[in-house]
Amino acid sequence: MMQLVKSSSNIAVALVVILCASIGLASDQIPGAKQTRSIVIMGATVHTVSGDAIENGSVVFSAGKITAVGRSVAFPADAERLEAKGAHVYPGLIDAISPIGLVEIESVRATIDHRETGENNANVRAVAAFNPDSELIPVARANGLLVALSAPTGGLISGQSSLMMLDGWNAQDMALQADCAMHINWPRMTAPNTGSGRSNDDLETLNQLFSQAQRYAAARASDATQAVDLRLEALAKTLDGKMPIIVGATSVAQIQSAVAFAKQRKLRLIIFGGYEAPECAELLRRENVPVIVSGVYRLPTYRHSAYDSAYTLPQRLHAAGVQFCISATERFGASNLRNLPYHAATATAYGLSEQVALRAITLSPAEILGVADRIGAIKVGNDATLFIADGNILETPTQVTHAFVQGRKVDLDNRHKQLYRKYTEKYDRQKSAP
Amino acid sequence: MMLIYRNLSDHRTCVATGRGLAIWLLSFATLVNAQTGTTPDEGVRFNPPSATLLKNGFVVRDHQREMFRGDVLVRSGKIVGVGVDVSRPADAQVIDCAGKYVYPALIDAFVEMESTPISVPADHWNAQIVPNRRMDLQISRDTKRLAQFRKAGFGIVLAVPADRIFKGSSCVLTTSDAAIETTLLRPAVFQHVRLLPSRGAQRGGYPNSPMGAVALARQTMLDAMWYQQATQAFHADPSLPQPDRNEALESLERASRGQQPVMLDGPNELFALRADRFAREFALKAIIRGSGREYRQIDAIAATGRTIVVPVNFPKPPEVGSSESIAETSLQTLMHWELAPENPARLEKAGVHFVLSTDGLSEPTELLAQVRKAIDRGLNRSTALAALTTRPAELLGVSELTGSLDVGKLANLLVTNGPLWDRSTKIVETWVQGQREQYDQNPNSIDLNGRWSLTLNGPSGFPAALEMSLEKMQDKPAGRIAQEGKLDDEAKAPEKKQTDSTASQTDKKSASAQLKQLGARGERIAAYFHAEVLGIEKLSGPAHISATAISTGESVQLSGSILWPNGRTSSLHGLLAGKALAQPSHESNKDAKQDARAENLPEQETGKDQSASDASSNVVISRLNYPFGDFGLHKRPEQPRRLMIRGATIWTCGPQGKLPSADMIIHEGRIEAIGPNLQVPEGATIVDGSNMHVAPGIIDCHSHMATDGGVNESGQAVTAEVRIGDFIDSNDISIYRQLAGGVTTANVLHGSANPIGGQNQVIKLRWGAVDEDLKMVEAPAGIKFALGENVKQSNWTERTSVRYPQTRMGVEQIIRDRFEAAKLYSRKRSEWANSPRGLPPRRDLELDALAEVLDGKRWIHCHSYRQDEILAFLKTLDDFSVRVGTLQHILEGYKVADAMAKHGATGSSFSDWWAYKFEVLDAIPFNGALMHRAGVIVSFNSDDRELARHLNHEAAKAIKYGGVAPEEALKFVTLNPAKQLRIDQWVGSLEKGKQADFVVWSGSPLSTLSRCEQTWIDGRKYFDRQDDILNRKQSDELRLHLVSKILKSGEKMASDSSDSNDPSLWWVRYDEFCHQHDHDHDEQTHEGHALDASSQEHR
Repeated sequence: MMQLVKSSSNIAVALVVILCASIGLASDQIPGAKQTRSIVIMGATVHTVSGDAIENGSVVFSAGKITAVGRSVAFPADAERLEAKGAHVYPGLIDAISPIGLVEIESVRATIDHRETGENNANVRAVAAFNPDSELIPVARANGLLVALSAPTGGLISGQSSLMMLDGWNAQDMALQADCAMHINWPRMTAPNTGSGRSNDDLETLNQLFSQAQRYAAARASDATQAVDLRLEALAKTLDGKMPIIVGATSVAQIQSAVAFAKQRKLRLIIFGGYEAPECAELLRRENVPVIVSGVYRLPTYRHSAYDSAYTLPQRLHAAGVQFCISATERFGASNLRNLPYHAATATAYGLSEQVALRAITLSPAEILGVADRIGAIKVGNDATLFIADGNILETPTQVTHAFVQGRKVDLDNRHKQLYRKYTEKYDRQKSAP
Repeated sequence: MMLIYRNLSDHRTCVATGRGLAIWLLSFATLVNAQTGTTPDEGVRFNPPSATLLKNGFVVRDHQREMFRGDVLVRSGKIVGVGVDVSRPADAQVIDCAGKYVYPALIDAFVEMESTPISVPADHWNAQIVPNRRMDLQISRDTKRLAQFRKAGFGIVLAVPADRIFKGSSCVLTTSDAAIETTLLRPAVFQHVRLLPSRGAQRGGYPNSPMGAVALARQTMLDAMWYQQATQAFHADPSLPQPDRNEALESLERASRGQQPVMLDGPNELFALRADRFAREFALKAIIRGSGREYRQIDAIAATGRTIVVPVNFPKPPEVGSSESIAETSLQTLMHWELAPENPARLEKAGVHFVLSTDGLSEPTELLAQVRKAIDRGLNRSTALAALTTRPAELLGVSELTGSLDVGKLANLLVTNGPLWDRSTKIVETWVQGQREQYDQNPNSIDLNGRWSLTLNGPSGFPAALEMSLEKMQDKPAGRIAQEGKLDDEAKAPEKKQTDSTASQTDKKSASAQLKQLGARGERIAAYFHAEVLGIEKLSGPAHISATAISTGESVQLSGSILWPNGRTSSLHGLLAGKALAQPSHESNKDAKQDARAENLPEQETGKDQSASDASSNVVISRLNYPFGDFGLHKRPEQPRRLMIRGATIWTCGPQGKLPSADMIIHEGRIEAIGPNLQVPEGATIVDGSNMHVAPGIIDCHSHMATDGGVNESGQAVTAEVRIGDFIDSNDISIYRQLAGGVTTANVLHGSANPIGGQNQVIKLRWGAVDEDLKMVEAPAGIKFALGENVKQSNWTERTSVRYPQTRMGVEQIIRDRFEAAKLYSRKRSEWANSPRGLPPRRDLELDALAEVLDGKRWIHCHSYRQDEILAFLKTLDDFSVRVGTLQHILEGYKVADAMAKHGATGSSFSDWWAYKFEVLDAIPFNGALMHRAGVIVSFNSDDRELARHLNHEAAKAIKYGGVAPEEALKFVTLNPAKQLRIDQWVGSLEKGKQADFVVWSGSPLSTLSRCEQTWIDGRKYFDRQDDILNRKQSDELRLHLVSKILKSGEKMASDSSDSNDPSLWWVRYDEFCHQHDHDHDEQTHEGHALDASSQEHR
């Protein structure tokens, strides 16, 4: 099943064969077993991301945690050794927002679980509907995408996202952080001195809801008879910055408004989309508001926009000192998260350094989502959520050969590869037929 | 004054128009001395005197002849005398026109009016085709609207039916309220056509796209001609079947023979060119209803040689009051605001024959101000007059009747208080068919201007005499009042422009008082003044004066009263003491003569007229570019005679393979040589390719860009008659953006809404060229077919899921059925060609296209997903001995690659899209590699404006998924699509003799880390990243300069920055049926795309 690697590179062939055997020949993808034996990856270029890349380096992990990283490392004698000369080790890629696990086919209603009805769905939780057996998941992780924020969509307040490790038997096991962030779609806004001058109803609604949540929290703390309101209960979690709010905002007006709103209420704000974020970079930098760029493969907003304005967006944010990460959700939502490294690579072609680009899909999203102590970098103490590739992950032909989520070996097979094998077999038989 | 004439509907004659400003002085009596009707007299006859002499005006007979001071004699609705001293018939009423200007009334060659539907038994099957509608019979006249036209100076309009594709015939009417039999001058003047469906046309209805509209129009013209032939054949041989009677086709006979001119809408510059091409196709005598955007393609417009009806609805400036709104405003919008008023002048300069119209103005009375703007921007004054008088008269075929002041013509006059094009000039009266209507604030023939001596008779202690001065009583009345002898002092005082707020202060110090709220109506005047100024004890507060002027031969007297602040009144009697104080009429006459003469002078002189004072504010900072606005080019990129790329890594995609450090020489747009260390040709332009990679231009085998009328004609299951090539939008910004991603050629396909869709068009991305010049002429014809969910409307709402087919079974059958129909059609046509017996066979554009498919002259590009439908489709084709051009999408092609190879099918696929709908659940990224390995020619395409910008990234996925060798993978977006489109003889690889379409990449074209630096087509550089960076800086500066110009201009800004009049923004540029992924709705909205709700619901 891993013979594909041959075509693009020879370097890891031996390794692949060994690993195939160890994973087993299951045709459907079976979640990796709990790590019981130490594993050491040897002789690879280790992209620690939190520090410099280490040429000819090694990574050791035991019981799901990284125990050593460096040129020469100590490891238990019984450790499973992966010779990875010429290969590259990366922390698992993280997509910072998408409906993965909540949708199978966008045009088939029965498969859609990310859009609840109504304007305020603060109480709904992605983890409650995340489908661990979605065919989209193995497709994404086959290219190194090991963690994703699965988020609800729609309405004014969409609900709570869950940060999911993309391997496991069920959503509870897979959740790195079950209730990770509250998702809000910021109302469309116009400049203060133009337009109709009408007050923005949606903004007023948000104001009221958060005020209610505050009063509700106070009442719940002091008054046992206060009836439960699940929506306000959920919103209250965001007060005082306990749970971040991820606000979909594209324009300067939306971003400014959201920052003002969040600061006034002491909410922890993350901007999602952020197409015009560089135009208010100073504000974002000063107020420490990070931005999740919703995609690099995007069209310019206006006819007069520079053709590469979406391609240069990450670099412009970086140059302005704004904390940011890159998501792949802009194109196809959940089904093509596997292309996340190419979003980052395109930003590199248009000015971002490769180091920052790689960071923008590993450590930066981990930091923004508050899990940098667990994932996003290869350093001692972190989860062993990482993968091995036969080349630069930013380049298309590169193949991911091994992946581990908390030390568990990930089956990199998927529906696509299965169908590929099936029909390769069809044509092979035709060839061998007389 | 109302004289009721029997021919007129009496209630109308009594209606005073507007807000009561107009007064009917002479009624229709002037029409009636000669018998013009046959209605018998009843009761005692009316025979009032019917002549009027307009005396001593400045007479402008037309735009050419010298203006003179003289008279116009009108009788019975006609001009019967024009000259320096026309003798006055005894019965003539004399109107003193001293200081006034008499022009021919204006003519508007395009006014849409309502019509009443009439039921016709033999109508056209399609409700959009109503050429048999006749405005002369069906018009429902809106008298309020006609009154507005009179007030705007119009005597005649062309009443045009609104809406539909073939709209019907217009008629020429005077703007008189009289009965239609009196005012109708010409019936059935033009047939009116617009190559657009009705906006908001039902999704289910055909046509619902401009492509469909023009296809239906084309078929209708052919049908009209066939109908004539068939009818003739039947008359010659009544034993033949009788053709079905069809009023609509019958009514097109004159137009189809070039006897009746056809006016075609051209709602933007490209639509105007399309209208011209349509007219040419059928040898129609055509006139184009313009859009005001003609200046953007002035040479191409001029080359049509058509007369254009040009609107003057220049845009309001976009909203730029905030930095946010500025950020949203395109250079195109800003430049259009600046340049649109120059459209008439540019048309004039380019030698285009045009008339001006109120078309697009919310009120016809806005016209004069707009035309003056155009004159400020270089339009010759005399051309402006001609374009509203003699030219439209000629165009409408009524120049014998109207358009100039000549004996025998209709007494359609326009009387103004100054030269027509002076900013302060107002229309004082309009005469239509001898019927006079006055408008001015003071439509009084008595001149009240001058100094008045007032004698007062009132309570003791009140003044017995005052002096008063009046000026500009015609338009901006002003005046002062004072004790006898004190007026002059004040008049000489320096503060000429007293504002209201300072007036009372000044009044206190000075001896004279300003007449406030001074108004004149008819012969009556009224005002108030601060009585303190008169210096009379106890008189403080406002005093009100009102008076009536009475003319007794030579002298004019005022008679009235003053109401003092204490409630007492004095009667007043005034005598005009002289004009020494102010001589406005004299002054303005002098100016007027100069201006009026200027109208007859050549252009260079008129350039010096009063508009010169506005020159500073009128400095034009935009430079016309192509396409208009953002990222447009000022000139076509040069084609160096010899061009040499030196020292690059060249991916030829041809037999030479990949050459490290090689040179390429291009001669006049064709590749001459490729290889290492080539000799530098004499005088060659050199491009340093060191550290660069050069590869063939990318060819996108599935694109919907540069379409200007939607991508789908979804009104029918079979629309083979529809042609994408009819609506190439060379202004689409996607062209530029995709050039920046290395795309040089694209297969622009019809959408997938129907099993048999429209004809595709292969284009080259020659940014800046006009639509026709984008077409790749070498490319063979093609057509879109589609299978599966989209055509069976799986993802549509229940309401729309009724059309056949609803299953894949039905899809297979409908294609088979149409092939059979086309086969029979071809046979019948060739039989008739060999021996013409019976009724001539009707030409059917739909079957024509399918017959070409069966003859192997038109290649099918078939949208397909699932293996079952693919096999069924290939079987159908095999049964008809047709080879498919490409199978598009073909995401399960990997399952049937052997069958594809056997048929000779090629596959044009997405690299890795999947899971967006049910039929693509089995789509895998290995598809390309598997088909390739089975011997199928494979390409990766975009079907998407964004993806098309990095098709090189997609090609690399053939390496990743299935291990295709890199050089072969690059062919997936270069040579292979060229082969699929049967254009590989010219493009697709870098080989000697091929067209020099290539891309300079900063690294390997297959690397995500590389960037497109330059894109060349035909040996011309259409994109250069370095130039782009420079241009965007300049373009941003220009945008800000225009913003500041707008804010300085003080013009009222529009509430919305998008230009909703531009039809190119009405339709989507992607196949909304095709896939589920997000299509950047934000951008659609920002660009002003008015997506109707129905086009969204099926995505």
